Amino acid sequence: MSNHIMGVPGSYPILFVIWLVPLLGAVLCWAFGPQLKRFAGVLGSAAIGISFIAALVAWGIATQTSGAQTGAQQPLFTWLQGFDFGLLLDPLSLIWVFIITGVGFLIHLYSVGYMWNDNAVARFFAYLNFFVFAMLTLVLSDNFVGLLVGWGLVGLASYFLIGFWFFKPSAVAAARKAFVINVVGDVGIMFAIFIIVTKAGSIRFADVFANPHALDPWLFWTCVFLFIGAAAKSAQLPLHTWLPDAMEGPTPVSALIHAATMVTAGVYLVARCAPLWSASQDAQTLVGTVGALTALAGALLGLAQWDIKRILAYSTMSQIGYMIMGVGVGAFSAGVAHFFTHAFFKACLFLGSGIIIHELADEQDIRLMGGMRKRTPVAFWAMGAAVLAIIGFPGFAGYFSKDQVIFGALEHGYVWMWAVGLLTAGITAYYMLRLFFVTFLGSYRGEMNPADVGIQTQVAASAATIAHETHEPHAEDHAHAPAWIMAVPVAILGFFSFAAGYIMIGPGSPWAQFFDRSFPHETLPPATISEGVTTGLAVLMLVIGGAIAYQRYATRQALADAPARLKRESETLPAILVRLYYWDDLIELLVVRPSQRLGEFFGRWFDPHFVDGVVREVVLTNRFLGTLVRSFQTGLLRAYALIIVFGAACFAVYYALEGALR
Amino acid sequence: MHESLLPVALVNYISLSLVIFLIGVAGVVLRRNPLVMLMSIELMWNAANLLFLTFARVWLNNAGHIFAFLVITVAAAEAAIGLAIVVVVFRARQNVDVDEVAILKG
Repeated sequence: MSNHIMGVPGSYPILFVIWLVPLLGAVLCWAFGPQLKRFAGVLGSAAIGISFIAALVAWGIATQTSGAQTGAQQPLFTWLQGFDFGLLLDPLSLIWVFIITGVGFLIHLYSVGYMWNDNAVARFFAYLNFFVFAMLTLVLSDNFVGLLVGWGLVGLASYFLIGFWFFKPSAVAAARKAFVINVVGDVGIMFAIFIIVTKAGSIRFADVFANPHALDPWLFWTCVFLFIGAAAKSAQLPLHTWLPDAMEGPTPVSALIHAATMVTAGVYLVARCAPLWSASQDAQTLVGTVGALTALAGALLGLAQWDIKRILAYSTMSQIGYMIMGVGVGAFSAGVAHFFTHAFFKACLFLGSGIIIHELADEQDIRLMGGMRKRTPVAFWAMGAAVLAIIGFPGFAGYFSKDQVIFGALEHGYVWMWAVGLLTAGITAYYMLRLFFVTFLGSYRGEMNPADVGIQTQVAASAATIAHETHEPHAEDHAHAPAWIMAVPVAILGFFSFAAGYIMIGPGSPWAQFFDRSFPHETLPPATISEGVTTGLAVLMLVIGGAIAYQRYATRQALADAPARLKRESETLPAILVRLYYWDDLIELLVVRPSQRLGEFFGRWFDPHFVDGVVREVVLTNRFLGTLVRSFQTGLLRAYALIIVFGAACFAVYYALEGALR
Repeated sequence: MHESLLPVALVNYISLSLVIFLIGVAGVVLRRNPLVMLMSIELMWNAANLLFLTFARVWLNNAGHIFAFLVITVAAAEAAIGLAIVVVVFRARQNVDVDEVAILKG
């Protein structure tokens, strides 16, 4: 069943090209940054392009089959007994490699234009290439430890890039938050590895998955620990709060790391460990539940946001919830398919919003946008396609994958997840169209008084007050890059937002042929509600959500008094959504404050009084003894001589007495 | 024990040695001139030598002679080093009063 993870062992130099060229690009950009200047962007993009071409070339070896083994496995070295390291390119990693390098290449290209006026452009591309290398390490490893190394490195790259504009305190805080929460996940995976090494005696996927029940009775807990890692990386409840704050980074970073690739690492992990999840019903229920709740919670939070990137961040969280729900309940192919399409349309949405943000000199509040259809037509059309894809409009990419996920939940017997998925689809349609209508339709509101559209100057609402004081800084001269550098990637991604779904229709499609068969398939009882009905209901939800959005934001009348409506809406948003379920406040109360108290206790009391106290006692004792001994050191030569004579006299007296008494 | 080999009684040798030694001790402890102190040390060495030779004779054992030569050698080396120190101290301070040379006072 789980043979797909074995891979045909052999020598595959092409894997090293895929894997290491981005690292080379990072090193070159880093080492020769001052010389390269803007050319660093070309170099960085070329490195990812080469990697992508190599991945295309490797298609053959990744899908090759020998006996029960599929894919290419390149042994690297043995660290210790049971710790064999190697690279593995099988259909599952191949999907990720394609997205990482393919979408990554487009985003690199876009970044050349986006970062045109930033004076640290070489550093940016060094980090970006380093991220790609780290992510490839993650998906190309054939063992858990290599995966954990990649897992940690992408967290580091994410930290670098969120905090790329390190002169913004909010960016530094967001980077730190992301890093800390991700480390929680890393520790989870580490615990899982401890169990695996103890129980299975090997870190290789192939050995562990060959007999998942070797992990009993810890199989469920292994899954739980792995999922803690997945939840932290993929912004699942309750570890989701770092993702919206991560939008402090440059927009291409949000697109690449915090939408298309890194945050889906959790989906990869669960899909990769499919044999473990298949063997543990409880783990499936747990992960599916978390995924479904995250999908709903993220979508609800998306309703109450005004910052264009934060809306997209919550939609990312929600969509990853779908993916996790899919891979969690056992519909692995559906979850991965949703990752595949999501990468295109979400990257497209972020890059399109980046074009708008650029056009409006770093304004991110959609209430101050409006009428962008004429000013940024490329963004309008591409984001239009992407919005239709994310809401699952029939014919667009998301339609195929999201319905698979929702139906998959039903198929595996989780009716309530099916219902939540449908409900979330409706909410998604509403808030994404809201974003789209408010941004692109009507007339431009940027010259209005912010208060007239409901923007309070004191943004005390959300935990991370981001919108206004944290605009993305650029040099003031607007020597823009050629417009096509940013337009072309967005257009390509927009096209794929439409087209990516078509490779997975029917049993003869590339998806079915290469990818689908590599996942474990269970024979399931036929679902009570057919796939057709599910699709129909999903479209119905979409229509309802879309109709409400249209009614509120896109009718002629709504557009006419848009500022007043936006103002009213800003004032009447439910506090629980604006304050993000008070989750940050709760974490502040339960984790941050106690940690600070503990730190204060140790810093203000324990250290000065106990640790320092002990040291001080030792010092005082020694000083006293020293003073005592020092008093003998008169420095007078004759005094020393006298002491020697005294000592000699003592000897003499001793021997004299001894002789006399003998 | 062959006290009869000595021209005078053994106690005289020991007494003389003790007197010379105590003179040496007094010189080291009481005088402040390092040259005199070095000479006093020589006196102590020679007091010891006298005993070595006396008892070599009394015990008919030549080890005492050998030790005497050893002591002379070491005393010569000691004197050389001691004088060198005195010269260096004098160059540095234009003064050799040992009570003044007390910079190692703790």
